[in-house]
Amino acid sequence: MSVARPVARRLVSGRLAAVAGAPCAAPTPTPTPTATTAAPCQQVFAHRFHSSPQLSARRRPRFANVRAADMGLMTEKQIDDFTTEKFPRYTKEELDLLRTKYSPAQIAALEAGEAAINPRDLTVQGRLRNDPYTLPYIDDFAETQPIIDKRAKNKEAPDPSARFMNMDEFTQDLILWADKFPVGDVTGQLKTLVDFVPEDFKTTPEGNWPGEVREAAHKAFQLYLESEVGRQNKGKDVDDVEGGPTDADILQYILERSAMTDDNRTTDTSLAHALPSKVPGVAGKYKQAIDPEDQGLDDLGVYQDVKRRTGLSVAELLKVQTKQLVIRTVSNQTRLGKVRKVSAIYCAGNGNGWLGIGEAKSTEFSIALNKARLMAMQSMKPIRRYENRTIYGTVESKISGTIVRMSARPPGFGLRVSHRIFEMCRAAGITDLAASIPRSRNPMNTVKAAYKALLTQPDPEEIAMGRGKKLVDVRKVYYGGAVY
Amino acid sequence: MGIASITNACAHLQNAARARLGLTSLPNTKYNLRLALAMHRAGLIASVTRGGPRPPPPEALLAAEAEPVTSDNVATRRLWIGLKYWNNEPVMRNVSPVSKPSRLVTAQFDELSRVARGFGVHQLKGLNLGETMFLSTDRGVLEVREALAKKVGGLVLCRVS
Repeated sequence: MSVARPVARRLVSGRLAAVAGAPCAAPTPTPTPTATTAAPCQQVFAHRFHSSPQLSARRRPRFANVRAADMGLMTEKQIDDFTTEKFPRYTKEELDLLRTKYSPAQIAALEAGEAAINPRDLTVQGRLRNDPYTLPYIDDFAETQPIIDKRAKNKEAPDPSARFMNMDEFTQDLILWADKFPVGDVTGQLKTLVDFVPEDFKTTPEGNWPGEVREAAHKAFQLYLESEVGRQNKGKDVDDVEGGPTDADILQYILERSAMTDDNRTTDTSLAHALPSKVPGVAGKYKQAIDPEDQGLDDLGVYQDVKRRTGLSVAELLKVQTKQLVIRTVSNQTRLGKVRKVSAIYCAGNGNGWLGIGEAKSTEFSIALNKARLMAMQSMKPIRRYENRTIYGTVESKISGTIVRMSARPPGFGLRVSHRIFEMCRAAGITDLAASIPRSRNPMNTVKAAYKALLTQPDPEEIAMGRGKKLVDVRKVYYGGAVY
Repeated sequence: MGIASITNACAHLQNAARARLGLTSLPNTKYNLRLALAMHRAGLIASVTRGGPRPPPPEALLAAEAEPVTSDNVATRRLWIGLKYWNNEPVMRNVSPVSKPSRLVTAQFDELSRVARGFGVHQLKGLNLGETMFLSTDRGVLEVREALAKKVGGLVLCRVS
């Protein structure tokens, strides 16, 4: 018990509180004289064991809440009024306007959506969200806010069939534009080219006119235009024409008027139209990057160089097995710092006696890999194989501190070699081999030494020729040569 | 000198072959002569000619001995060895002595047959593809396969490949 709150004071306040809370209090017997037992409905507005003075009344909020009844939202009429004011139905005019914008199916969807929600429910049950995923602002997305939203793209798409205007179309377009600026005493429209041809050709398009008719018409039209200009400018300063196009108009014409046959349509995109697939003057003159012999196997032209250098077709190149053997980062120390690159070594083989090793470096990881892979394909060489399964004799090869020693093994022995040499053997089609790397096991040198060893196998035929002796493989002699 | 002259001859032949020499000479000893003749039988060298301090002319290489050995000229006699090459490579690329004066290596017939089939016996490694071995036996200096045919073993002189 707090020392600052004597028992008597506590008793008084508890009794007062009990009286104040009498309506909700359970019928209690006479108040107990002891201080420690409190009545069930006794309200104490502070913790019992606290040194701060007790509050005399319930703490009230500083701002009173407004009840719905006070806002006039509790009677049916008020609810209906609020609903009709805040959530009105679409008027007939609005619906007509919407029909111009949306397809019948969309209009049907809109109407179904409107019918699905009772506006009264919006009034009675509508709440502002307060869940953690609420947007930080209140918006029904009916309007565009330029600060937040991207610019609306509500213009039509570019005309896909538009092309650059020819001379006549351009002249027509220029006249159309110029007609917006009434100058002088001209009444009515200017004459057009059609007015200068004989009656027979007035209905036919210009392309079908005979040459002399066309030339005469153009000449007369030109004369007419010049005379018109001269007539209208008679006695006037050309630059100071009342009502004529201003400099701003001309600049706008130059910069903004479309030079294509799309009726000066404005769009949301500033990109030019793609060129048509066959431009008339250039058709057939494109260099085809893709060789038709590839049958679409190499659309990106990745294998074209290798194809040219190896003489293999793309289909054959795609069958070549490749494997990444070594990847490491190398750096060139310059006065500007280290220039880091990735170095990769790949092996490539057709699984039938051809093997190649390719090494490449690049600052870009994937480029180094691709280059090394193609280099490996390009450098494939035939590997001598004994019985198409192992090598001839024992060969040893040294690169730097790395020595790779390989030995031929009987059928079914398998590849008891380290993993990089295993991949090389698999690519080359060697199935029985033992190899040891007695000294340094540097990955790059291991691969190079193994490749060198495979290439420097002794050739029994050459040895026999050199010594002038007949060498016979006794494996092929015993059991009638049936050794498999 | 015995086996020491053989080790010297091996080193010299290997050096001469790797230097792409056509004709080289060894000291005129019986041991060297027998080894050279064994190599000639094995097809590793082109010719063996006894001559003087100057190399014999090419036509004399295949001819019979021009000058007989006498007590006067015996000190100046040399064995002139014609080396062989094939496809720009020496036929005799590696010549490594096996026995040396401080350790003589011998092989009996059964051991020799294993070595000739590519299996190692004691300090002798098995023969590799295209490799051959020369032995000094009581039937003279023989190649390993000659020794096997004659069923004899002996002192292993050198391995050649």
